[in-house]
Amino acid sequence: MSADHGGPAAGPAARVRRLEALLEQRGLLDTELLDRALGAFLDSASPANGARLAARAWVDEGFRRRLLADANAALPELGLSMGGGLQEQRLKVVQNTADRHNVIVCTLCSCYPLALLGPSPTWYKSEAYRSRVVRDPRTVLREFGFELEPRVAISVWDSSAEARYMVLPRRPAGTEDLGEPELAALVTRNGLIGVAPL
Amino acid sequence: MNDVGGMQGFPPVPQEPDEPPFHADWEAHVFGINSALIGRGVYNLDEFRDAIERIPPQEYLASSYYERWLRAITMLLAERGVVTEEELAGG
Amino acid sequence: MADLFRIGDRVRTRRTDPPYHTRLPRYARGAAGTVTDLLGRYPLPDRRARRLAAEPEPVYAVAFTAGELFGEGDHTVTIDLWESYLEPAEAEPRGGDAAGAKALAREARK
Repeated sequence: MSADHGGPAAGPAARVRRLEALLEQRGLLDTELLDRALGAFLDSASPANGARLAARAWVDEGFRRRLLADANAALPELGLSMGGGLQEQRLKVVQNTADRHNVIVCTLCSCYPLALLGPSPTWYKSEAYRSRVVRDPRTVLREFGFELEPRVAISVWDSSAEARYMVLPRRPAGTEDLGEPELAALVTRNGLIGVAPL
Repeated sequence: MNDVGGMQGFPPVPQEPDEPPFHADWEAHVFGINSALIGRGVYNLDEFRDAIERIPPQEYLASSYYERWLRAITMLLAERGVVTEEELAGG
Repeated sequence: MADLFRIGDRVRTRRTDPPYHTRLPRYARGAAGTVTDLLGRYPLPDRRARRLAAEPEPVYAVAFTAGELFGEGDHTVTIDLWESYLEPAEAEPRGGDAAGAKALAREARK
């Protein structure tokens, strides 16, 4: 079977090309629009957004409070939003403290704050992560090289409905002199999901 | 097969440093096609998740994440008579 | 129609095992937890997936102790659950994690 056919033996790339052609014929898809939308999404959505939110929350106490109380209302202050997707999703930001560490999962599929952080990492979608982090988060964190002090309690958030979650990591010590962009550069995607301290 | 929270026996979490947002163009296109079809109301998000859950277990387990998405999309389109499997296979 | 539950309420998830799409994870069925947040109103996905009419109903963030869910562990798991998945819990949780439940309820009221 030639690679241009979209049958079961064809690889997914061929099937997708075939599917797009058929959908376009039926007026259900505009591939140019699709390419533009994908490009726009990848350009605008990345962990840098979450990192900026964290940095602002660290330097601005009022913003931190607003972000925790109503994240959707606070996002536009940084020119961000949870819209742009299928519908604007409710965002909840959960903050790490000296006593409590947060970690996010979607055990049922792979729900994730895409509009804010971009596509999720493959490990987040894996059965291994989704099955184990709700039962034994401390061990999962250890697999990410993150040894959490025993006295710190862990809160796992299973995004099973319409809300999407993001972690506000703790500001590291010794960063008093850093400006917002430098602070943001310290924050990683893993920290915003909760499998790393930062 | 999707409801794995708390299930025991899975291995350590697989990690891939600096992975790209999509591992192949077709994955990105599957993502985009799904958004477009849901946006147009061909099916809704809950129907999409349900379709993934209806993939026969053997096939589900043998498929990658976006292969499952592709399977669910084609399943829904076939069920709605929008695109048949023959059309998808034909040249 | 008013919400059935408020923040701080003890609730128990239903034990149903439907043959169709649902967003009540198996690991949390029949478990008692504490409502910690109100997340808005949305149509029940169990019905939406089958194209059945579904009025928006409240969705709650419900916190469970690991002990309640798995019989071990010292963490909590918060799951976002539609009202249809929940019923009021008894005053004290079965299986005795009363201290954990009270701590969660205190935490939710902060």
